Amino acid sequence: MPTSNSFHDGFTIDSAAPRASSRSDADALRASVARGCFKLLEALALLALGAFFLFPFFWMFGTSLKTLAETLQFPPTLLPKVFMWENFPAVWNSSNFPAAALNSVAVAIGIILIQLAVILPASYAFAFKRFRFSKPLFTLVIAGLMIPPQVTFLPLYLFFSRLGMINTYVPLILPFASSAFGIFLLTQSFRQIPAEIVESARLDGASEFVIVRRVLLPSVIPTLMTFVLFSFISHWNDYFWVLSMTNDESVRTLSLAVVRLIDADGGVKHWHTTMAANMILVAPVLLAYVSANRWIKRAFAYNGIK
Amino acid sequence: MSRRRFNSAYLLTLPALAGSALFMIYPILFAVWLSFHRWDMLSDTRRFVGAANYVRVFSNASFLQVLSNSCVYMALMTTLSVALALLLALWLNENSIVKNLAQSAVFTPHIVSMVSVGILWMWIMEPDIGLLNYILDLSGVQALLARFGQEKIMWLESEKSALFSLVFIGIWKSLGYNALILIAGLQSLPKEIYESARLDRAGRLRTLFRITIPLLSPSLFFLLIVNVTASFQVFDSVHVLTRGGPLNSSNMLVHWIYQTGFEFYRIGEASVGAVVLMLIAGGVTYANFKLLSRRVHYR
Amino acid sequence: MGKSVFFTENGLKKRAVSIVAAALLGAACMAGTAEAAEKVHLDFWYSLRGKNGEFIAELTDKFNKSQSTIEVKAISQGDYYQNAAKLQSSIVSKTQPDVTLLEVAQVGQFGYSGALADLGPWFSEKEQANFLEGLMKNSYIDGKFVAVPFCRSTPILYVNKSMLKAAGLDEKGPRTWDELVEFSRKLTNAEKGIFGFSTPIDIWFYEAGVFQQGGSIFSSDEKKTAFDSPEGTAIVKLWQDMVREGIMKAPVGQDYNAWDVVRNDFATGKTAMVQLSTASLGGLIEVSEGVFELGTAFLPAGKQRGVPTGGACLVVLEKSPKEKRAAAAEFFKFMTNEENAALFSEVTGYMPVTHEAAASERIRALHAKYPQYRVALEQLEHAKTRPMIKGYREMSVLMQEEFKKPMRDLSIAPETSVKSAAVQVQELLDRED
Repeated sequence: MPTSNSFHDGFTIDSAAPRASSRSDADALRASVARGCFKLLEALALLALGAFFLFPFFWMFGTSLKTLAETLQFPPTLLPKVFMWENFPAVWNSSNFPAAALNSVAVAIGIILIQLAVILPASYAFAFKRFRFSKPLFTLVIAGLMIPPQVTFLPLYLFFSRLGMINTYVPLILPFASSAFGIFLLTQSFRQIPAEIVESARLDGASEFVIVRRVLLPSVIPTLMTFVLFSFISHWNDYFWVLSMTNDESVRTLSLAVVRLIDADGGVKHWHTTMAANMILVAPVLLAYVSANRWIKRAFAYNGIK
Repeated sequence: MSRRRFNSAYLLTLPALAGSALFMIYPILFAVWLSFHRWDMLSDTRRFVGAANYVRVFSNASFLQVLSNSCVYMALMTTLSVALALLLALWLNENSIVKNLAQSAVFTPHIVSMVSVGILWMWIMEPDIGLLNYILDLSGVQALLARFGQEKIMWLESEKSALFSLVFIGIWKSLGYNALILIAGLQSLPKEIYESARLDRAGRLRTLFRITIPLLSPSLFFLLIVNVTASFQVFDSVHVLTRGGPLNSSNMLVHWIYQTGFEFYRIGEASVGAVVLMLIAGGVTYANFKLLSRRVHYR
Repeated sequence: MGKSVFFTENGLKKRAVSIVAAALLGAACMAGTAEAAEKVHLDFWYSLRGKNGEFIAELTDKFNKSQSTIEVKAISQGDYYQNAAKLQSSIVSKTQPDVTLLEVAQVGQFGYSGALADLGPWFSEKEQANFLEGLMKNSYIDGKFVAVPFCRSTPILYVNKSMLKAAGLDEKGPRTWDELVEFSRKLTNAEKGIFGFSTPIDIWFYEAGVFQQGGSIFSSDEKKTAFDSPEGTAIVKLWQDMVREGIMKAPVGQDYNAWDVVRNDFATGKTAMVQLSTASLGGLIEVSEGVFELGTAFLPAGKQRGVPTGGACLVVLEKSPKEKRAAAAEFFKFMTNEENAALFSEVTGYMPVTHEAAASERIRALHAKYPQYRVALEQLEHAKTRPMIKGYREMSVLMQEEFKKPMRDLSIAPETSVKSAAVQVQELLDRED
């Protein structure tokens, strides 16, 4: 269970030592002022930190509400003079946003479901079963982390088009099924479950299946939720793969619809509508993060005996 | 009895292995095969040329520079991002509202794609009126640097700084992700160990290196692998921000592969790059596993 | 017995329903077969985005509605380079589209690889002559007509007339290189950070500079480079001299990022004169309205005037079934007929591609309202052919990078970088493939 045990807390405040009554009030005052200054500095630092990381979002949000002329200002202004909320419905109704959004959802869900179905048994096997070639096979699967889509898209495009599957969801979902990242994460997570728990369950006469369901799965739920979040983020934002594997709009996702709004080479770029579209694109991911946030910490925590 | 267990393991891993075989091994083999051919995809004339592509690629100075850029980027990105994330994690590891907010703030860059925020970074890094140089100037850092003979930093616009600018942006994007994972690890470390360390009068630094880091080793190992592999795959920031320039200084492997194959129509040579990419990334990952997995403590 | 059932209410209803159903089914079948038998389906991959891209989709829609034998499906495939990448993979897998939009510089690459179909049989001499000659320079491969001009542009000089007038200069803009330097000197205001002139250091504008000195990029047999010469060096020297003097801003950024910088600087009054594509005219008119007076002019002359052309052309892929060629030609003719060529030009800012369109009412009215549009058309008489050789894209990237060096480092002589570029390009030319 996460505690408020800060790393340096245990060193600055000696709560165990008795307050020396000989300490003058001036000293105590000085100490608390120092602490106050420290806190103030820390607060400022945190503010700067937040600004450094969040600044792009504020800018995106501000730009999405500007008019075209305002977006041309350089240095760019943060907030528009008038909030053009109508940029949002305008963008939603243009091109095929709703359809693209639907595709994004379908593809993301499809990927996550098939990934869970593939990585759970595989990680279980790698973590708990001894079998020949388990080490090299594990390394082989993990090697998948290294292969970028720019290298794989050509042969896979040729493969899928020979099967007539371009412009379907299949090439958008299937190649990601065997997620190297997921197997890596989950196997590590399984391996961290203390052997004693599994042993005691086995001694209680539980079958393998029950052990999995009652003992192992609950322990890795945080990891699974975290994986689902990370996978969702990366595939929701995917542009390159979807562009490469689709030839028409029927299964294209939101990330492509957004990029299409950038009026490139020639006309002036329409950043206000593009950023409005980006806000729409980012919203579900933010939502997913906010809901799955607490799982992340639990996932990477080291489970003690529960 | 044991035979049944063996069988079930293979069955359990079958979908994953099948996926790997089809969607990873097959493309690699395809790339290897293609690297020995010259192929004009537009006219469908493909011919075997042996190692000629390899010779051409490796005697091309710009490819060698791309290789060096990629390695530098990988080394800097990984070490800086993970090290800074550790410091950040140590600082933000509290359950206060403020610090929780900070943790979320730090994670948000991971959520947006580079394609969306690329233009913003170009503006921030604009040498004359961009925000970054403005801050450096205002805070006096620019004046300090000038004493050392360092003129205004040109960020993405100069071949001397473009690569580091990409590293900077890469760190911005990955820091929160790394920090969050480390915070999670920190929060579950047993307090008793710190108590006894304090009683033993161990200094902070010593505690950090002798206790915290070893206990965090599974997370650190995980982050190392993930960051290294991700840094070799960098494409979006190069494509959106610099296209490899100026003067090839920020060009990296994946972007070089894509550009050579699909903008310059030389897919055979691009495949050589792909093979090289996989060898390097594979080598580094293997080295990581071999050298470090022994030192990872699972409990 | 049957009679009573037939005429009961229920019976009638049932009967009616089944008759109607049968009729509908029959009609559907017939329509289906009629459609399948008669309509030719064309896949059209276009590579413009934003408003221009949407307009292409609208025009395609208009074509589909205007007749019933051809159905064109227009699909956006990213920008010019993403489209080219997709074309490559789709040609190999035989899932290529029938018709696509290729950037002018890509026509050579695709054409000399035999990937483009000969449109000669469907476009008579007269029809070909209808297109503006200046725009047809990159449409022929080995004498065969393969590329129909569609969204074509040339580089032009944009001037901030308000600033020129304030400096006491001829608001028509500089006519020669010398005048360009002169004007820039008077328009530059170092304290305010205002430059007199700016241009992307892009292959397009380099070509213009070479043409303006009467030079060429390659020898006529296209086996040797020809720009390592005084004619090929002059423009780089001009730019460097102007940068050194502080009257020209060499924009930062790669490829189109640099164009954005130039465009934004001009739009916000930070640069008085810029070289950009005529395709930016529409957008610039919009943002300059009420802010400053926008003027356009020919690119300044060196020894002579000279401009490359740009934009994209409609092409038919060779691998598309031959039966579809006639339909494709008809589609092209629709897209470039008088009404649509004029409409497209008005909406997007690209040039009207035919004599008819250029002389049409719509364009005349446009020119009357915004005379700035006239410049691109009039400048066409100085248009020269852009290099068409395979691999030119790679060479352009090399050359651009070399030419940027003297702008960054003023100690580098232009001759050095031009020579270095020529050596590298010659290597690429000599390389057997």
